[in-house]
Amino acid sequence: MTMADVEMTKAASDSDWVRVTSDDGYSFLVRRKVANASETMRDMLDTAVGNYLEGIERTCPVQQRGVIVEKLLEYMSFKSYYEGAGAKEEVPVQEFMDRVPPELVLELLLAADYQNM
Amino acid sequence: MASAARRGRPKIKPPRRVLPLHDTWADLANNIREIQNHNAPNLSFEENHRFAYNMVLHKQGEMLYRGVNQLVAENLDHLANSQVVPAFPSGASDGTMQSQEAEMLLKALRNIWDDHTSNMVRLGQILKYMDRVYAKSAGVPEIWDAGLNLFLKHIIRPPIKDHLVTAILTQIQFERDGYVVNRSAIKGCVDVFLTLEDANGIAVYKRDLEPALLKESQTFYEAEGFKLLQSCDAPEYLRRVESRFESEDSRTHHYLSHNTAPPLRQILQSHLLTAHLNAVISMEASGLDAMIDLNKTNDLARLYRLFIMVPAGLACLKRALKDSIRKRGEVINQASSGIEGAEGEAASKPRPAAGAQTLTLALKWVQDVLDLKDLFDKIWKEALACDRELESTLNEAFETFININDRSSEFISLFIDDNLKRGLRGKTDTEVDAVLDKTITVFRYITEKDVFERYYKGHLAKRLLLGRSVSDDAERGMLAKLKVECGYQFTQKLEGMFHDMKLSEDTMKAYRTHLSQTVSPKIDISVIVMTSTFWPMAPASSTCTLPLEMIKTSKSFEQFYLSRHSGRRLTWQPSLGNADVRVNFKLKKHDLNVSTLALVILLLFEDQGPDDFLTYEEIKQATSITDVELQRHLQSLACAKFKILKKHPAGREVDPTDSFSFNADFSSSLQKIKISTISSKVESGEERKETKDRIDEERRHQTEACIVRIMKDRKHMTHTDLVNEVTRQLATRFLPNPLNIKKRIEGLIEREYLERCDDRKSYNYMA
Repeated sequence: MTMADVEMTKAASDSDWVRVTSDDGYSFLVRRKVANASETMRDMLDTAVGNYLEGIERTCPVQQRGVIVEKLLEYMSFKSYYEGAGAKEEVPVQEFMDRVPPELVLELLLAADYQNM
Repeated sequence: MASAARRGRPKIKPPRRVLPLHDTWADLANNIREIQNHNAPNLSFEENHRFAYNMVLHKQGEMLYRGVNQLVAENLDHLANSQVVPAFPSGASDGTMQSQEAEMLLKALRNIWDDHTSNMVRLGQILKYMDRVYAKSAGVPEIWDAGLNLFLKHIIRPPIKDHLVTAILTQIQFERDGYVVNRSAIKGCVDVFLTLEDANGIAVYKRDLEPALLKESQTFYEAEGFKLLQSCDAPEYLRRVESRFESEDSRTHHYLSHNTAPPLRQILQSHLLTAHLNAVISMEASGLDAMIDLNKTNDLARLYRLFIMVPAGLACLKRALKDSIRKRGEVINQASSGIEGAEGEAASKPRPAAGAQTLTLALKWVQDVLDLKDLFDKIWKEALACDRELESTLNEAFETFININDRSSEFISLFIDDNLKRGLRGKTDTEVDAVLDKTITVFRYITEKDVFERYYKGHLAKRLLLGRSVSDDAERGMLAKLKVECGYQFTQKLEGMFHDMKLSEDTMKAYRTHLSQTVSPKIDISVIVMTSTFWPMAPASSTCTLPLEMIKTSKSFEQFYLSRHSGRRLTWQPSLGNADVRVNFKLKKHDLNVSTLALVILLLFEDQGPDDFLTYEEIKQATSITDVELQRHLQSLACAKFKILKKHPAGREVDPTDSFSFNADFSSSLQKIKISTISSKVESGEERKETKDRIDEERRHQTEACIVRIMKDRKHMTHTDLVNEVTRQLATRFLPNPLNIKKRIEGLIEREYLERCDDRKSYNYMA
């Protein structure tokens, strides 16, 4: 508990590691910056006002299968990486789309809606 | 670490779609109450978010929305009852108690506001899907805005609202009375008022607090104005007012809206300034005049700063400054008009004392004016922020009172004369220059520059002829200054005089060389040839019969000069010259420096025995000097400090019945004696009238010349245009009277320079 206390007092920073878990037991560690690509996760992890359990534990449970969570995080990394890219910079959107298996598309769509991103 | 913490609570299950939604709401409602009790850290965000998500997905958005609103409202009522109502004022009459209670109430409000807003943020986070999907489609405000509306409805309502407004006003009043209040408590509440807007988008601050605040301030400052006026002198009043402005500024800046600053300022301006401007500035013994007298630059600067805030202030300040200058000017004029009294005497029987006294008065007048100008320049620079408008006001005021004194031109010229004559007495060139520079600024105020020119010419001529100038450079410097002020025309003749002096020097050198080659007459002579149009002396103003020796000498020069310049006419001006003569007295010889005319008189006594008399009439016949001149020179020989002649009977004034004898007993410790001619340097009444006539005549010529010049150019002009143009062109020299211009036009019509047109309103030029 003391550990948690110490960490709570620390200001949230983009380079913090946060854990994202799937409902089938997978767990992913990503930078807070990546997690913030989802508005729902950002609110969930907010410690400035919200300060819910997830925020204190820095863990976002996602009620999806591991493979979906992995794809979500892949997209979120992609998004946060290219965020703020200049107009000249080429964003390989097509490449990313090619990596999305068609059988996951529907589930991903629902998950993305829930994650508000 | 995260997994360790998770072990302590049940695993979050995916919400089954079969779950009865009513249960979902019951759980969520419970959790919301927990959140409102600050238990969010024990709740799962994911769970509650999913509850709300599912309800919206299953068309239960309205139920969710209403339910949340209901919960928020309940919570607000609870907060109000538990925190705000207990902090209501007890009705204590003690000021400090009131202030403390007000502070408590304001703090309580801020507390529940902070509580409410952070709750609303938390709710907003888990209800985001509702905001995004339900609120938009149902056309209701998002939950955050709904929360604000609920706060407005449940907290900012009577009687809470009224108590809050009263508390804020109490605190402000308390601070205005000079006590310290907790500004951040007030600011906390004011910020809430600023944030909350009613249905019409008007902030509560603007709707409820500001009007009350302004009304209160108005009452307070209206009374304050009168109170201060009663209890303070002017500088203190202004100090207090300024500090009121500052404190109100800091008040609006620190805990009120900046939008309140302008109307509040307006109230201060109208009740502390506009209402009492005149009363303050004209306060006996401490108003503007006193501040000027006591040289209170800071107070004056403050007065200026405050007065220019209000539109009436500048006008009031202008009026007061003008009055002050006018009064001071009148005093100065009054002091110099002592001359008038002494002068009546001086005109009839000129006395050396009167002349000197009037000169002193004239110099004093200019010096006083300069000092006054200095004083106001200093004030203008240091206290009035070099305000351009006030500068012109000051100038106007100076111009008015300087021109009220109709002898100002003469006085200024005399002053310059005095400085150029005696300039080196303890003053460096730069100092003299500075004085002259200042004199020029006063000169600028004179409207009748031609009058000044006439006097200046006269004084300059005397300086040049008598060699009284301290330095040629200073003279030329002054000339250059006048040229800058009034242009080439103005100084043309003055420069001509300098030129004559230079030419005469050369001529004299040539003449001396000429004499060394031929036979020189007995008397040494030095001649200044003056071009008659440049110099102010009337040609042949005073003649006299010269002794033979002197005639010889002058003839010799005449011949020499006319041989070099044929076709010129030389007229001798003995009244302007002076001579060195050695006189044998009983005790010893003395070298006397006397005027040429005095020498002529003195020479009459050369062959007289010690007890012989010459009557006034005899002297007059022998010399044919005019009465005025003769009296003057006899007086300087017989009645002044050195009595070369004896007058019978003795006395200060010379009468035509007097007779004179040589004073052989004269003795003095000095070898060389200068017998200065008694001359009233300030003009006597008669002279002044003469000068005025001459000026009037000159003006007539100038006006006519100007009219002709304009008409020659334009050929045709209406009467009004012509008069305006003439006035404009002549303004650099004097202010012509339209009536005089009309007279001159008529004169020109008679002489057929102009003709009147048929419309009777305009003229044609006839060449």
